Amino acid sequence: MAELQKDPITRKDFLSFGILGTITGAILTIPPAAFILGPVIKTDVLGQTDVPSGPDDWHEVGSITEVPVEEPKVFVVDFPVNQIYGDRKIQEESGLSTEEFVVESAIWLSWQHEILEGGEYGQSYRPAFLDDYDGGTLTQAQIEEIQGNLKVLSSSCAHLGCPVRWIVKEGAGEFLCPCHGGIYNINGQYVGGPPPRGMYEYTYEVREDGRIYVRHEFDIEEGLDVQKPYVI
Amino acid sequence: MIGRIRSQAVDTSKFVTDWMEHRTGIVTMMEHFLYEPVPKRGAWLYTLGSATLFTIVLQFLTGILLLFYYVPTTDHAWDSINYIMTEAYFGQMIRGIHYWSANFLLVVIGLHMAQVFFSGGYKAPRELNWVVGVVLLLLVIVLAFTGYLLRWDQDGFWASVVGMKIGSYSPFVGGPTIHFLLGGDVIGPATLSRFFAIHVWLLPAVLAPFIGIHLYLLRRHGVFGNEFEYSDRLAKLHERQRLESYERYEENDGQPYMGRRDRADRNGDEDEE
Ligand code: HEM
Ligand code: FES
Repeated sequence: MAELQKDPITRKDFLSFGILGTITGAILTIPPAAFILGPVIKTDVLGQTDVPSGPDDWHEVGSITEVPVEEPKVFVVDFPVNQIYGDRKIQEESGLSTEEFVVESAIWLSWQHEILEGGEYGQSYRPAFLDDYDGGTLTQAQIEEIQGNLKVLSSSCAHLGCPVRWIVKEGAGEFLCPCHGGIYNINGQYVGGPPPRGMYEYTYEVREDGRIYVRHEFDIEEGLDVQKPYVI
Repeated sequence: MIGRIRSQAVDTSKFVTDWMEHRTGIVTMMEHFLYEPVPKRGAWLYTLGSATLFTIVLQFLTGILLLFYYVPTTDHAWDSINYIMTEAYFGQMIRGIHYWSANFLLVVIGLHMAQVFFSGGYKAPRELNWVVGVVLLLLVIVLAFTGYLLRWDQDGFWASVVGMKIGSYSPFVGGPTIHFLLGGDVIGPATLSRFFAIHVWLLPAVLAPFIGIHLYLLRRHGVFGNEFEYSDRLAKLHERQRLESYERYEENDGQPYMGRRDRADRNGDEDEE
């Protein structure tokens, strides 16, 4: 200490010490930090997701004929997850399980209903031609009519993600969340309890053979980022 | 005969102890570490800190044992715990201790904190030990949270999902923190690996030195309320009260209560001069 004071630091010393210190500090901290923060950078900065949800990543849910007229029905879809089990080749060579990790997602399908005053359900908007539809080829107009009235809802509660279930009541019914009592109607709209919005809806399409396909993508409202389903 | 053996044994142990003491100072150190005066009144309450330490030590020991069988992958985690529970010798006991001791730990740590709070043990010069204690509490809470997912059953899975979703609502840091814990944007293999790394390596490694600091500071200042300090403080308090009441009288009418006659005498003296 005393030595240092007797011998004042020159500008050159100061600068070279500063530069050297910065470089050393960077070498020591950046690799480990980036190493463990990788997923945060990929998700929050680059906007990537672990579940492939591009324009080609459709997963079959079921047939349009399986959705009942008056109440919702649950289907299970396995979405593959690309997390650390990425290098499938090595696993095959080592003779280990080649199974992909999947998120099993429960999906509720229901026909949109008219909501009367007081919350009761009026008529169902289920297209009439489905009454005598037996799995043949659908026309473009028919597909559009279906897509306008079919609800494809995530079972993950919009509050904190518990799985909601359908509770049958006199003539009507509602989606009830077991965790804190969030309630939604048959259209997935918010009725009561802590959830900040209605149930999340999947992006889906109906194909000509009457089968329904979904993508791992939701109707997230712009600017309400906290509602994003971080865990599904 | 017995007597001779006994005296020889005593001599040997004395020799060994002295030998160690000269070279390492271990005996003085042990005396220093092991003996701590605590107040007679409510002495049992002072065992809460030791109870906390005891449960944490149990967590470390049983946790290390569990690691001999536990496999931190999504397709084997549940099976490996099932193996511990059904086939490993004393598996149910080891895991049971880890589970129950984790629960007791949180209860005991709360009681310990309450004891320190209500006895005023956090006051100067022990404020820093309170701060270190809060750090320890937070570390233990995160340990309990991350341990629960390792079971990889429906209970642990959904408890963690809901816990993380609650966290995701925090402003600014919520999202990135949850993505950090998840290792992406959905719960999956990366999540289990991360929770494992945090539960088994990161947090125990951070916890241990903080426990060290906590104990060092405890030894430095002693348990609050030990008899010596207690009477010391009482004496100081009485002294302060005496001075205060003296000052009050002096302010009120300029006439010190006790000293009235004194002053009169002195005034008398001055008059004479
Ligand atoms: C203050 C310290 C700790 C707390 C509060 C804690 C808490 C927990 C909890 C609540 C569980 C879930 C148990 C269950 O539900 O069955 C768990 C599991 C586990 N912990 Fe810890 N733990 C601690 C320290 C450690 C340490 C130091 C290790 C290893 C070095 C460890 C290794 C494990 C392992 C391998 C499991 C999974 C096995 C199982 O779930 O039974 N823990 N811990
Ligand atoms: S998670 Fe559904 S109401 Fe809270």
